[in-house]
Amino acid sequence: MTEQAQVLPGTLDLLILKAVSLGPLHGYGVLLRIEQISGRALLIEQGALYPALFRLVRQGFLKASWGTSDNNRRAKFYELTLAGRKRLQIEAHEWNRLATAIAAVLGARPEEV
Amino acid sequence: MKSLAWLRSTVNSLLRRSRVEIEMDEEIRIHIENRADDLVKSGMPRAEAERQARIEFGSRERFKEECREERGGFWLETLYSDLKFGLRMLRRSPGFTAVAVLTLALGIGANTAIFSYVNTWLIKPLPYPEADRLMVMLSHDTKKGWTSKDVTSTADFLDYQQQNTSFEQLACWTSWDFNLTSDGPPDRVEGGLVSWNFFQALGVKPILGRAFLPGEAQPGSSHVAILSRGLWQNRFAADPNIIGRSVRLQGEVYTVVGILPADFHFPLMGAANIWSPIALDDKQRADRNSSWLQAFGRLKPGVTREQAGAEIATIAARLQKLYPQTNTNLTSLLSPMTDEIGKNEGAEQVMIDFWIVGLVLLIACANVANLMLARATGRSKEFAVRGALGASRARIIRQLLTESLLLFSAGGAVGALFAACGVRWVENAIPERIRGYLVNYGRADLDVTTFVYTFGIALFCGTIFGLVPAFESWGLDITHALKEAGGRVSGGYRAARTLRLFVASEIGLAVVVLISTALLVESLAHMVYEGLGFQSQNVMVTQLVIPPNKYSSPSEVRNFYDEALTRIRALPEVISAGASEYIPFGDSNEVEHVHVVGRPPAEPRQEQGAQYTAVTLDYFSTMQIPLLRGRLIELRDGPGAPNAAVINETLAREQFPNEDPIGQQIEIPLQHRVWTIVGVVQDVKQFTLSDEPEPQLYASAAQFPSAYMSIVSRTARRAPEVTAAIRDAI
Repeated sequence: MTEQAQVLPGTLDLLILKAVSLGPLHGYGVLLRIEQISGRALLIEQGALYPALFRLVRQGFLKASWGTSDNNRRAKFYELTLAGRKRLQIEAHEWNRLATAIAAVLGARPEEV
Repeated sequence: MKSLAWLRSTVNSLLRRSRVEIEMDEEIRIHIENRADDLVKSGMPRAEAERQARIEFGSRERFKEECREERGGFWLETLYSDLKFGLRMLRRSPGFTAVAVLTLALGIGANTAIFSYVNTWLIKPLPYPEADRLMVMLSHDTKKGWTSKDVTSTADFLDYQQQNTSFEQLACWTSWDFNLTSDGPPDRVEGGLVSWNFFQALGVKPILGRAFLPGEAQPGSSHVAILSRGLWQNRFAADPNIIGRSVRLQGEVYTVVGILPADFHFPLMGAANIWSPIALDDKQRADRNSSWLQAFGRLKPGVTREQAGAEIATIAARLQKLYPQTNTNLTSLLSPMTDEIGKNEGAEQVMIDFWIVGLVLLIACANVANLMLARATGRSKEFAVRGALGASRARIIRQLLTESLLLFSAGGAVGALFAACGVRWVENAIPERIRGYLVNYGRADLDVTTFVYTFGIALFCGTIFGLVPAFESWGLDITHALKEAGGRVSGGYRAARTLRLFVASEIGLAVVVLISTALLVESLAHMVYEGLGFQSQNVMVTQLVIPPNKYSSPSEVRNFYDEALTRIRALPEVISAGASEYIPFGDSNEVEHVHVVGRPPAEPRQEQGAQYTAVTLDYFSTMQIPLLRGRLIELRDGPGAPNAAVINETLAREQFPNEDPIGQQIEIPLQHRVWTIVGVVQDVKQFTLSDEPEPQLYASAAQFPSAYMSIVSRTARRAPEVTAAIRDAI
């Protein structure tokens, strides 16, 4: 199986926001979805997840409410707020810019310098 | 909105803490169960799946702690729990708490007490508008090197006033005692004679009436007076019609023209209550000889002290050239009024005390830090467990810091109480007579600044010294600490070293403090016990000024005092009584230039001075000043007999180093008086305990009576009832 990359600190928030944007999730669900979408390339450290979730709630990007999960258990569900949606857009944009820039640097050939 | 969400989260966390905790637990549980389910789906047995899920999740407690940190309202919560815990810890070891708080209270309290004086006397500005622009003129003799406050003669002052461009106002004054005989029993009220612009220069406006007018500086128009508010309330019952009312001063009628505000205080003058303008006739205006005025001025805006000082020096140089007889080598210096008042107060000594007391505080803090360190070492297990539960290092340090601050705040609070008592005690110890010369009458207010200072140093020291045990627990090995048998205090190498460091520095500081204090006490004892030159116990001093219009001729004055002394001597408790124009540690003195007859006259301004006073019979015996050679003033030294004078050791040494003064003649050239020296007495301390004695000439009061005398009466023991008896006798 493909090597699993470590999640860079700071990008966790971005990933969580994206995961939740596809539909409300409880904590474990967020974990699964990220794993799933990334093709198991990204593994979230379980201990880092919930503090990040609480942080995002405190910052107003996520909203939390209790509900029932699909296996009939009570769970706390997180969904994106309006501010969260905006934040996701901005962060994603920033990330892409950064990635492009880094790629450009890495792809530089000796002749181009 | 972000901040709203943040606020909501914080409030949520604070108010519904337990519910939030439960929810968190719930959430974790669900997560782990979900994970376990997934593992089971992939084939693992249930029990093992659950265990695996839990291990994967990691330390639940540590993680809950991190979540809590993210949640907001966290630091407030921790502060509260830290405080509760800290209080509990302190309550559990009352011995430690008591000792620590007491130590700190002493250290902080002493600092607060001294600081309150530093604050009142040195830091707070004087109660006049822009008081830092008030400069006192000091005279300075460039050849002999002395500097004195009794600056100027009238003529010099007027010249300075007219020729200067640096001062808005230049004013002068002298202390004066007034005999107040109207509206109550006769009383001697201290006050001052001032130039007409005195209050304007200070920037003080009377609350009733007005300040003096220029016209009132003329003889004939000068019988006006300004009273203090205290005098107005006490003596005149706050009469609303006080302005324009007549009072009897020195036997003459004066009109009250103004009342000063309640907080008015001019420390250089002491506790003054009546002011009257200085009125000079032409002859007095031209007098350049007697220096009896003190002067100060308010700088014009934009003029610096250096500029004004240079100008004054230039004027002084001009006067030196014009009047070599009186002004040779005489120049003037400027000194801020705050400094001059500070000198009177012993500001230097207060600053020394301040540093000493600061050292004491350091010792106290080091002591307490030591104690805290010892305790912290004993708590290493507690810290280990906390660390295992997820407390970050910062958290533990915060906890220790809170405990330390609790201790120091308690010490600060008790210290403030000590300080209040200490300050009251000092205030009460200050003799009544000198209170007028101290800012705020010697009261050190414990105001907001002082309390801010107190808690400031409590928190500051608490933080610094509290961090010591905290950092000791920095390099903590959890398993090692947990393995130790309970209750055993190990120390660890580093802790022991810190302990030794503290002990060493404390001993060092304590030695410094002890030595400084010993030196101070020794110099004080030296001053006090060195001997005043006379016996001061059981001597009652009565100061009198006889109104000139009632007893105008010298013989009337002489008879009055003779009569008074006879009556006093007749009182049963009085052993002996005498009188002198000026007494040691009295309010005033007279210095004259003396010259031994038969020697060449002195150069201008090179004359030698001596303190002058006239004494009655029995003065020396009442004061118990020993006679060294010759005889004392006796009955035969009356009017018509040759002028007889007694001199003191210092004068004898100065003027007659190699010969016997008895029989020699000494004169005061300006007064055209000549005396034959008949005796030499021992020196007496005149003004302060630390100054060298000055040369002194004692004339006979029978030959040179003075309306202004101080009667000294010696009683067998302290007898305050004698005061009343003496008053009646007079």
